[in-house]
Amino acid sequence: MEYEFHWNIVFQKLPQLLNGAFVTLHVSVLSMLIGIAIAVLLAIAKMSDARIFSLPATVWVEIARNTPALFQIYMAYFGLGAFGIHLSPYAAVLSALVFVNAGYLTETFRGGFQSIPKTQYSASKSLGMSSTQLYRYIILPQMFRRIYHPMTNQFVWSILMSSLGILVGMNELSGETQRLQSLSFRTLEFFIVAAVMYFLITKFVLFSAALISQKVFKGEL
Amino acid sequence: MKLTKKLFLLVASIATVTLFSAANADQLDTVIKRGVLNCGVVLDFPPMGYFDKDNKPAGFDVDYCNDLAGALGVKTDIINLAWGDRIPSLVSGKTDVVIGSTSDTLERAKSVGFSYPYFVFKFQVFSKKGTPINTFDDLKKVKVGAALGTTYETEYLAYAKKKGWGNENYTSFKSENDAYLGLFQGKVDAIISTNTNIATKLQTEEFKEYVAGPYVPNYDDVVGLIAKRSEVAWIDYLNLFLIHQIRDGKMNQRYNKHFGSDAPADLIQALRDNK
Repeated sequence: MEYEFHWNIVFQKLPQLLNGAFVTLHVSVLSMLIGIAIAVLLAIAKMSDARIFSLPATVWVEIARNTPALFQIYMAYFGLGAFGIHLSPYAAVLSALVFVNAGYLTETFRGGFQSIPKTQYSASKSLGMSSTQLYRYIILPQMFRRIYHPMTNQFVWSILMSSLGILVGMNELSGETQRLQSLSFRTLEFFIVAAVMYFLITKFVLFSAALISQKVFKGEL
Repeated sequence: MKLTKKLFLLVASIATVTLFSAANADQLDTVIKRGVLNCGVVLDFPPMGYFDKDNKPAGFDVDYCNDLAGALGVKTDIINLAWGDRIPSLVSGKTDVVIGSTSDTLERAKSVGFSYPYFVFKFQVFSKKGTPINTFDDLKKVKVGAALGTTYETEYLAYAKKKGWGNENYTSFKSENDAYLGLFQGKVDAIISTNTNIATKLQTEEFKEYVAGPYVPNYDDVVGLIAKRSEVAWIDYLNLFLIHQIRDGKMNQRYNKHFGSDAPADLIQALRDNK
């Protein structure tokens, strides 16, 4: 191979790449937190016997899980744009990622809920606990403990999928990489550095998740 | 064991022969021997490159590919590229040359080999009629967009930075088409594009209510063909080809076909002077 690597240009532009990496981390953490909150509600709604709750939840999950994330980001940006609703690139990517995260996590959470023996529900009731207390103290802590690993997988997934933000001109790591490589045409160098950054971000997130789990679950995972 | 050794020798000798022939044949030989010119064009940028009504590649750059292949006596294979794919396609050997309106900056010339200029663009503002844009500095007050990784994006951002505008009112789009779609949907009030593309869009039904505005001040976008930097003989051939396009009047013919008038004298003179 006759390719000569030029690394100095990449080091000059490192601050801009780090900015992009920060946006990537930012949008995926936020999409995860909102996604988890929505998914808990959707999972409870999906298990409900009342169709008014279970049907919308099922529709959400089916669309989120069976269409490409690329399509959802495009819908949020140009699709809504056709109706005169203009989200910023950041908001479009965030809402699309929240939509997908919530969809996938709903099924994960439902599995978590259903793995908890029904007898615990009746036992709590017989102790005089309200529904809120039941979920707050008995069900949710056990559920989160059981689905903690699949949940971190979803987190990694949303970090990697946020790179699709490039499609709508978002200045996350991929968009910034694309812009910088077009200035200098050092394509390979910039892409290699971006790949390393993605790797480090996901490792950082997995490490933090492990720390949090030790703190919260006292190592009983 | 004997068989392994034989196999090893066979593989080694094939590898040596291939390596040697690869080292001797330069890009010009390779293209002529192959009988096909793999020509990269951005087909998202009318009238330089686009898909015609029959969904076939067409445009000024596509005609240049065919002219080049004609001169070489080979067939043309048009390879559609996004802006960002131009260099990777050369490095990976997918294309022999990219005729894709590539601005010949000194920064880029460290990575890729440029021919003499083959076209000069102006960058221009495009917006809906009635948008309050009289001079380029009025862009400060409206929402502006352009395609990601293009020279006009860089020029606009540099200009905005120099004037201390900040980037809050700026949006980049993945492609030229997306930028026009964003303008059409009202995501931005104005986009920056090339005068040639704007002229083409103005002729369409969708953009009847739009108008071409001021040019980016003090900037001529001079573009060249690009090839692998190391293929000096091949780039020499491309340069001679471009000289002949002007000398033989082909450049003017192509211009006339795609822009509906003769090539401006100052454009021809600039290309003759290689600047």
